[in-house]
Parts: sequence; C-alpha cells; structure tokens
Amino acid sequence: MARTIVIDPVTRIEGHSKITVYLDDQNQVADAHFHVTQFRGFEKFTEGRPYTEMPAITARICGICPVSHLLAASKACDDLMAVKIPPTAAKLRRLLNYAQITQSHALSFFHLSSPDFLLGFDSDPAQRHIFGVASRYPEIAKDGIWLRKYGQQIIEWLGGKRIHAAWTVPGGVNAPLKPETRDKILEDLPKGIEIVRRTLDFWKNEQQKFKEEIEHFANFPSLFLGLVTPEGNLEHYDGFLRVVDADRKIIADKLEPTAYHRHIGEASLGDSYLKAPYFKPFGFPGGMYRVGPLARLNICDACGTPLADRELQDFRALRPGGAVLSSFYYHHARLIEILFALERIGELCNSADILNTHVRAVANPNKFEGVGVSEAPRGTLFHHYKINEQGLITWANLIVATGNNNLAMNKGITQAARHFVNGSDVREGALNRIEAVIRCYDPCLSCSTHALGQMPIRLTIVSAKGEILREIARG
Amino acid sequence: MSESILTLSIDGKDVSAVAGQTILEVARENGIAIPTLCYLQGLTPVGACRMCLVEVKGVPKLLPACVTRAAEGMEVTTQTPRLQEYRRTIVELLFAERNHVCAVCVSNNHCELQDLARRVGMNHVRVPYRYPRLGVDATHPRFAVDHNRCVLCGRCVRVCDEIEGAHTWDFMGRGIECRVITDMNQPWGSSETCTSCGKCVHVCPTGTLTEKGRAAAEMKKRLQFLPYLTLMREARP
Amino acid sequence: MSNKIRLATVWLDGCSGCHMSFLDMDERLLELADKIELVSSPIMDAKDVPPNIDLTLIEGAVSSEEDLHKALAFRKNSKLVMAFGDCAVTGNVPSMRNMFDVDEVYNRAYVETADTQKQVPRSVVPALLARARPVHEVIHVDVHLPGCPPNADIIFYVLSELIAGRMPDPMKIGKFG
Repeated sequence: MARTIVIDPVTRIEGHSKITVYLDDQNQVADAHFHVTQFRGFEKFTEGRPYTEMPAITARICGICPVSHLLAASKACDDLMAVKIPPTAAKLRRLLNYAQITQSHALSFFHLSSPDFLLGFDSDPAQRHIFGVASRYPEIAKDGIWLRKYGQQIIEWLGGKRIHAAWTVPGGVNAPLKPETRDKILEDLPKGIEIVRRTLDFWKNEQQKFKEEIEHFANFPSLFLGLVTPEGNLEHYDGFLRVVDADRKIIADKLEPTAYHRHIGEASLGDSYLKAPYFKPFGFPGGMYRVGPLARLNICDACGTPLADRELQDFRALRPGGAVLSSFYYHHARLIEILFALERIGELCNSADILNTHVRAVANPNKFEGVGVSEAPRGTLFHHYKINEQGLITWANLIVATGNNNLAMNKGITQAARHFVNGSDVREGALNRIEAVIRCYDPCLSCSTHALGQMPIRLTIVSAKGEILREIARG
Repeated sequence: MSESILTLSIDGKDVSAVAGQTILEVARENGIAIPTLCYLQGLTPVGACRMCLVEVKGVPKLLPACVTRAAEGMEVTTQTPRLQEYRRTIVELLFAERNHVCAVCVSNNHCELQDLARRVGMNHVRVPYRYPRLGVDATHPRFAVDHNRCVLCGRCVRVCDEIEGAHTWDFMGRGIECRVITDMNQPWGSSETCTSCGKCVHVCPTGTLTEKGRAAAEMKKRLQFLPYLTLMREARP
Repeated sequence: MSNKIRLATVWLDGCSGCHMSFLDMDERLLELADKIELVSSPIMDAKDVPPNIDLTLIEGAVSSEEDLHKALAFRKNSKLVMAFGDCAVTGNVPSMRNMFDVDEVYNRAYVETADTQKQVPRSVVPALLARARPVHEVIHVDVHLPGCPPNADIIFYVLSELIAGRMPDPMKIGKFG
C-alpha cells in the first residue's frame, strides 16, 4: 500500500486534519487514514512551571472545553497534594462541569452538526453553517444559541469569565457559590430543560431519515470506555473506569482512574500528530475503544436522574441487548447528556450544603506524581504530572478525549469511504459524509493535539501505485 | 519651619512645591498621573525603569520625574507624543526581554506591568521576543521567584535592604544577563539572611515573587504595609 | 448581499477559545449576520482561501509551516487582518515551547510518553517551525485585539466599529491575559 506517499503540506493551505483514502488495484477503497496536523507540546513546555499553574495552562489546550482541563488538572494537583477536597468544592466543580457539558454539547449539536441534518448533507456548502440554519430554521438556531449561552453563563457566573475562568484550583475552588448566583441558575433551568426535551423529540423523529448514514457512519463493534459512579451510573467527574464490549458485557470494572497507565497504552503514528490510545489487555490496535457520550451511555447501568433515565430506555432500544454501535447516535447521546446535566444542575443547586464557604483544601505537595481524570464532553480526559521536591513540573502526559477515539475514527472513515467512495470518482456529498463521520465524534482537535479546533478537511484519494488521483479541500 | 515654597508648572498648570520634592511627588499631589514601575513610595527612588521620563523646558534630555527635584520656574511636560512613544517602547522591551505570559500568570489581573501595557497603549510588541530559558526557584518553603517575569525594577532589593534590613536580595550580572539573586546567588531556600518576612513578594510589581500555592490570577499584592512601616520608623526617636 | 462585509476567521496555533468567545456574542450573532457574510471559518464549510475578503480574524500563533502559509495566503486576499486574541498578538501560551528545542518537544509527546511505535510523526503532517511567533512577525497586521480570550463585548465593539468603517482602539477596553 501507498505508505510512501507524502502529501507535502508546505505547498498547500490546508486544514488541521486531513484524510487520505488508499485504493487497491481494483480502485476500491483499501484503507483510510485520518491525519491531525497540529501539535503544540504542552507535555514539554509545562516543564519547570509550578504545579499550581497547571489548571490555567492546560485550560489553554482547549477553548471549547477548558473546564475539562481545569478539572483534570485540578484533580491531578489534588493528588499531588494528597488531599481530599471539601465536599462542597467537589459539588461546585461538578456544577461547573455540567454547565460545560451543556454548552459544549449544544455547540456540537446546533452550531456544528445541525446544518447537515437541517439543510442536508448535499446542500450548498456556502450556506451550511449556523447562520444558514438561522435563516431557514430560526427557532432551532435560537434554541441552540440559548442553550449554549445558558451553559456559558453559568461558567461566567461561577468563575468570572466564560472562557478560561480561573476558578477551579488545586484543593478545590477559589470562591464559594453566592446565593444570588444559585437563584439565577435555577431561574433559567426550566427553559433549558424544555428546550432539550423539545429538541430530543424533534431529533428522535428526524434521525429516522438518516438510515444510510446510521448504517455506515462508524457502525462497528468496539470497546467502550469511561467513568461510572461506584454504583455503575453515568458519571462525568469522578468514579471508576469501566470498559464494556459491543454486547455491553463488562470487560473491566472498578479500575482506579489514577492507575490508567496499567490499562491504557499509547501508540505514536507516523502520519498524524494525534497518538492512538488502546486498551492494553487487547494490545495495539486490537484494543480500539470509543469514549464520549455514546460510550458513556453504553457503559452505564443508568443515568440516575428521572428524565434522562426515561430517555435512556429509548436509547437502549436502538440496539436491544447490546451497545449502540453506530457513531451517528453520538448526536442522540449528546442530547440525553444535556438533559442529564441540566437535571443534575438542579439537584446540585438545591442541595443543602451547596452554599457552604469551606471550598478549598490547603496543602503543600506531598507526592511526586499525580493523576487527574474526568469526563470531558468528548470523553475521558487524563492528566498525569510528575514534580520535583520544589513542586515544579518535571514531566507531563495528557490523554485527551478525542485522542481516545483515534483508532475508532480511522476505522469509521474507512467504513464510510468504502461505502460512499467508489473508485476515484467521488460525489461532492461523499466528502461531507466522511467529514460528518468525524463530526459525530465531535472531535475537538484543540484538545486532541493540544492543537486546534474543528475541522476543515482535505480528502486525498491515492491509488495502489501511490498516485494522487484526486484531492478535495474544504476549509 | 524654614521650608521654602517653589512655583513651577506641570502640563501648563501652575503648581507649588516644597523645596526638595521631586517632580513626581508634586505631580501626584496635584492629580497629574505619570506612569512609574520601579518607583514605590516608601523606598528610595532610583530612576531605573525610565517610565516616568518627562520633558523640562530648556533641558535637552529627558529627566526621570522620580529623582528630579522640582525647581523654581520649571516648566514640565509629562505627556507628549515623544514621551508616549518612549514609554510604550520601554514596556515593549520589558515584555520582549523575558517570558511574560499574562494569561496563565499567577499575577494576571493584579500586575503593574500588565496595567502599564494598557496604559501606554501597547497593543503589540514591535521588537522580536527573546524567549530566554529561565527557571523558577521554589526552594523557599513559602515563596517562589520566577525569573521569567522579572523586570529588574529592584523593589525587592530595596525593600529587603532599606525596610527589613536583611539585604538578602541583590543584582548579579550586567545587561541582558542581569538577575536578582538571594545571598551569594544560592537557592532562596538556603539563604541564611532571609527572614521570610515576605515584603519582597508584596512589593514586586509582577508575578516574579509570589506566595507558593497560588493558582493563576490569585497573587494579589498588598502594598499598604509600606507607608505604615516607614511612618512608624520615622516616628520613633 | 454585495454590501455585506466579507469576513473570514482562521485558527492557527490557538485553543479555539477566541472563536468560542466570538460565538459568545450569542443573539448578537444574528444581528451581525445581517451585516457580514462569513466566507471562511472553522465553523463552516468553505473552499480554501476565498478571494476579496474584507476582514480576516486570525486566532493563534504561527507555529507550523502550515500556519505560516495560511497566514500569508489570508493576508494576500484580505483588505484588513486582525490578530485575534493573545496567541495571535503575543504568542502567549503556544510560545512557551520556544524555550525548548523543537526536538525536545516532539520527543516528550511521541517517544517518551508513547508505549508502542515510538516515533515522531514526519509524513503528511506539517513540521513545527523553530518558534511559535505572533502573527505580526510574519505578516502585516492592521488591528490587534488582545485577551485570552477577548470577551464577547470587546469582539462585538471591534467588529461593529470596523463594519461602520472606523478603526477601533481595542486597548481602550481590552487587556492582555
């Protein structure tokens, strides 16, 4: 196969990711590779910095889900300090996380993916964006904007600013919740829940139209990995790692997240800045697993909130007896998670000790190595630091949500390419569909490479002889 | 009282001063803002940073307001395009010389250098950044010094010498190699002269000297103690 | 259509936070939609570098060969270029790698922390430049908007001024960090 093909990026203006489709002698798709083209180097350049700066520095990995990095980093720092943070602080961090899940999932569904569904995969690319949706379906666009705003506002109310708030710190959070903030959050909550329920009803109907996409969008058996509560329920902040297979059979359970390295390995790829993590007992690349909303709903026994649990039943019915396998259903799972997040926001704001002012544990570092794990909107996020006796970082490793899905994304685009690409002749809509496979995972390439955002794509078709037959660029 | 009173003008405004007062003191008394960085009330002014340069009629060179004494009939101008350009350039050079990453700094939003950048209208740095590889010394149990953020204003050196009387801090090296050091350039934690009073930390205008355990944007400096300390000392026989 | 401002937004080496802050204009986005035509942006599908751009917002530092070429290409096709946020204006967090050699940075991520197939990616992906640099060091920049990220109000102010044909002074309300 055409492993020697180098598409020299210097001569072209390209996006942050590329897809190469390799054809065999019969001009049929043999393989497809997803390349992430941006790399930033946080693992190295944090070296020498005080560990207390890690939440703020690593938040700059991603402006879409900075809260995830704040949380994983703060938890890794808690671990370095060897403290158990005050219960109210843990609740407040959870509150912040649910606000982020709301805004980030809303962004993914409404701003980035809904143009495909509402305007059509084959619609005019020049109009296929949130402004295009706004002109044709103003009510839906408004719902999306409102929901994202609600999540962002909670973050701003708690942390002082919407993006890169410095509120979550080693040992807890740096200011307690004000009663008036709690009241504001609760005041708008019913509208949020109403919007998600409306959107879920709409979407459950709508997604029936996409049979072909559901069938071919990264629809295959794989492992699923994520955090669950000690009881096995849906979890985004703490808990244990669980791995299930395509039959929802539990392969591994109650894994201590801080010992992630015993269970997850990472492979470097020669043609992508995104490493490929794998489940170690199954080896590389057999240990392919998926993370994120679809995985979280597949691994958990229940959500644990009434409305989300009702939705979970419908979700399970998509593939009775087993895990939901088509990545197209990430969208569905995302909406259920917004509903869950909003329910939890209500519970947390109404809990008795939420206004408690003891929200920070104080300690010097007491360990030389710390790990923090949380569920980012896109999946499980691992931060792992080593420090010297002065508390300065000497080594860091980060496995970010989208990275976990790397092997599955590669497999997914190969599957989609086999279906939608026939020889070197490519329909315009095929590109968008392959891109949409990637979009299902809502890959945050900011995170995944500690690099950049969403998704301009260049698709290159390479023959068995290694000739570039066709290139289609977007972005 | 044999204090003689002088009259001079600052930015066209007639003001009076007591003999011996500096232009900066007189300006501040009269609500005329001149930017400063190395100057701190309560410490000996040294005229090091050149932020407070002013124009004095009849004097060909620019004069630092913090160490230039007011004189009878002096005509001082504090805001001219030339001064504004010089001040901006000085701030740009400070940013380019070391690694100031405001966004993730412990002193974000509480930093005099960051404030100055805004005040002098520095919307970007026009000289190339140097990116020196500088370290953090966090050997002291309570404090840390991050040389990436240091502007060599010398406030730590002066407060340690003049107010605390320990003289733990000093400078070493010249020009671009200049650093603040503790004792004989040894780790702060091993300093035998440091009393761990923390005054240096709180007079530091940037995120260079900090209390350990502070996360980004959490290092607020408390400067109120300095005038009280000096006042109390002067009041004693 | 024709009297709308043709706006492009670009991500180089940044975190997308400035783009998210752009979206934080919320309902004001719909107001802007009447005045601007988005011709290229990571939040939409578009061809490579569109012609006749009135204003390009560049988020991120210039860190890889690809970033450099993108910056040059958008400059060529744009009347005005704005460095959008601290990474574009100062280098910010991405420039923290400049204190290390590129190989040290690569090795930590792809060799030292990998369990298998330890290798630095060299094929298909664009190489890192020796240093991540602010945008104005490689192309002319007309407007500098600092902030990590600049908040939505400042973005709205600056865009409104530019749309009205006035040159805004972001430092009046903006700040670094």
